Amino acid sequence: MQLKNIVRSLAITGCVLALGACAAPGHKSQDEMNGADANAGGVQSSGVGQGSNFGDSAGGPQQSLAKRTYYFDYDKSDIHDSDKRAISANADYLMAHASARIILEGHTDPRGSREYNVALAERRANAVAEFMKAKGVNPDQIRVVSYGAQRLASPGHTESDYQLDRRVVLVYTKK
Amino acid sequence: MMIKRKLISIMLISIATLFSQTTFAGPMLSMELTRGISGAIPIMFTPFAIQGVPPTEDIAAIVSNDLKNSGRFKLSTGSIDDKVIGTIQEAGVNRYQVSFQLLEGFKGKNTQPTVLLNRKYTVSGDALRSLAHHISDAIYQQLIGVRGVFSTRLAYVVVQRNVNPTKYILEVSDQDGYNPRPLLISTDPIMSPAWSRDGKKIAYVSFENQRAAIYIEDVATGSRQRISEFNGHNGAPAWSPDGRKLALVLSKSGSYNIYMMDIASRKLTPLTQDHYINTEPSWSPDGRNLIFTSNRSGNPQIFQLNLDSKAVTRVSYDGNFNARGSYTPDGKQITMLNRESGLYNIGLLDLDTGVFHVLTNSSSDSESPSMAPNGSMILFGTLYNGRSVLAMVASDGRVQIRLPGRDGEVQDPAWSPFLS
Repeated sequence: MQLKNIVRSLAITGCVLALGACAAPGHKSQDEMNGADANAGGVQSSGVGQGSNFGDSAGGPQQSLAKRTYYFDYDKSDIHDSDKRAISANADYLMAHASARIILEGHTDPRGSREYNVALAERRANAVAEFMKAKGVNPDQIRVVSYGAQRLASPGHTESDYQLDRRVVLVYTKK
Repeated sequence: MMIKRKLISIMLISIATLFSQTTFAGPMLSMELTRGISGAIPIMFTPFAIQGVPPTEDIAAIVSNDLKNSGRFKLSTGSIDDKVIGTIQEAGVNRYQVSFQLLEGFKGKNTQPTVLLNRKYTVSGDALRSLAHHISDAIYQQLIGVRGVFSTRLAYVVVQRNVNPTKYILEVSDQDGYNPRPLLISTDPIMSPAWSRDGKKIAYVSFENQRAAIYIEDVATGSRQRISEFNGHNGAPAWSPDGRKLALVLSKSGSYNIYMMDIASRKLTPLTQDHYINTEPSWSPDGRNLIFTSNRSGNPQIFQLNLDSKAVTRVSYDGNFNARGSYTPDGKQITMLNRESGLYNIGLLDLDTGVFHVLTNSSSDSESPSMAPNGSMILFGTLYNGRSVLAMVASDGRVQIRLPGRDGEVQDPAWSPFLS
């Protein structure tokens, strides 16, 4: 039990340090994919996939940490329930690493007035910041930047594009 | 009595060229007149004689395009009794003497046309395009009675997403889209360009270093200074009529409030101090009022702050969204972004009568209205074929022009003041 927890902590730390570069459990690693070419002569080998030693199938802690984009409904700055676990995981990380620093970027879709949208987007980022602070995160570890509609996630102008624009992005500036 | 059918004819006297070294750079924005007014004045450009090598700038074409694109003139090919009078003179190396006459003729009547304008200029080759716009201004003023804006400029932001990372460019061009020049090229967003009253500087918001700050940049030299970099957002700069102050928006108090900054001393004076969203300040021409966007009554609306009494009154009542207001030059009307049935339009509110008109006629959202310095047209952003472009609409709604961008999305425009 204890070993499992140590492995879990090491895995979380490793993943965060790589800032999302590591593969989530259940996905083939690059080595395994390259190995398939060596079998081009007709022999087909297949691995059994990478097992999930740690974390649950429905979003383990390292998956929660890696989830750093949180979406919002039109004209709303309420955090979706489905994002709270991920935000909490990152809050836990910040509390465990006093020198870590994040930026919370607020974004809107491009409709409406530009400077007013900056104010709306800051509300979204502040909502996430307040959630984290309520969990105990030191406010000095969080900086809010509102981009309004200036950094669109999607260049298109349909409702599904706009859904991708309405977001808060959590960025580690110091781990 | 005989009905006078006035046909105006322009005779542009050509210029002889000795050299034609300059290359012709295409415009960043190109104008397409989509709707002119039915009472447009017919105007004729007679072909002018060219001696020697054709000039690099076709003055007649520039003037005719200027006047046509104002929507107030239509190019005529009707016949008229008139005379072409002109002189052609070379005035030295890369210098030209340009003469033109604006004649008012009477169709069917055997009389001498009246000379309305008769001007002569000597300019260098580099100044030919500017001279053409100056001629357009003179003709427009003579026939419409209002100062022309053909010598003004536009500032706008170009966003290029076909490169990685996305490139943001603050650009300045002539009013017809020619001579685009970048003032700032960045991989971080740029917004809210605002011309100083003398047209020599532009204030804007840049997100370089992952924080919004306000910069003032000299248009001619490109030198700039960062003048507002408080915690949180620094945005929506607006120059006072006397050019000494900027109204701006800061969120450092925890909410979005409007402040006045004395540019020389950097001293800040709060103008709003509440927990609402207050943003997008804009000065009245007499400098005594600011209008701004606020959600203090629920949804975003335009409010007016009297700088003497500090009284705040609501200005907009049409619909449940009005933002980014700015005054006409006479201070009697306000243009703004208005939402109706989910669609964002440009509208104009008469402050005396309270009557509000929607000016844009599109199924796409509009944004960022910016008033021409003669009050005749409003420059704004809109979508066309899925791309952000600039457009202009006359303040009576009857003329519409589109300016599609060549190299990316074009947005957040600002019309310069009169420039000399």
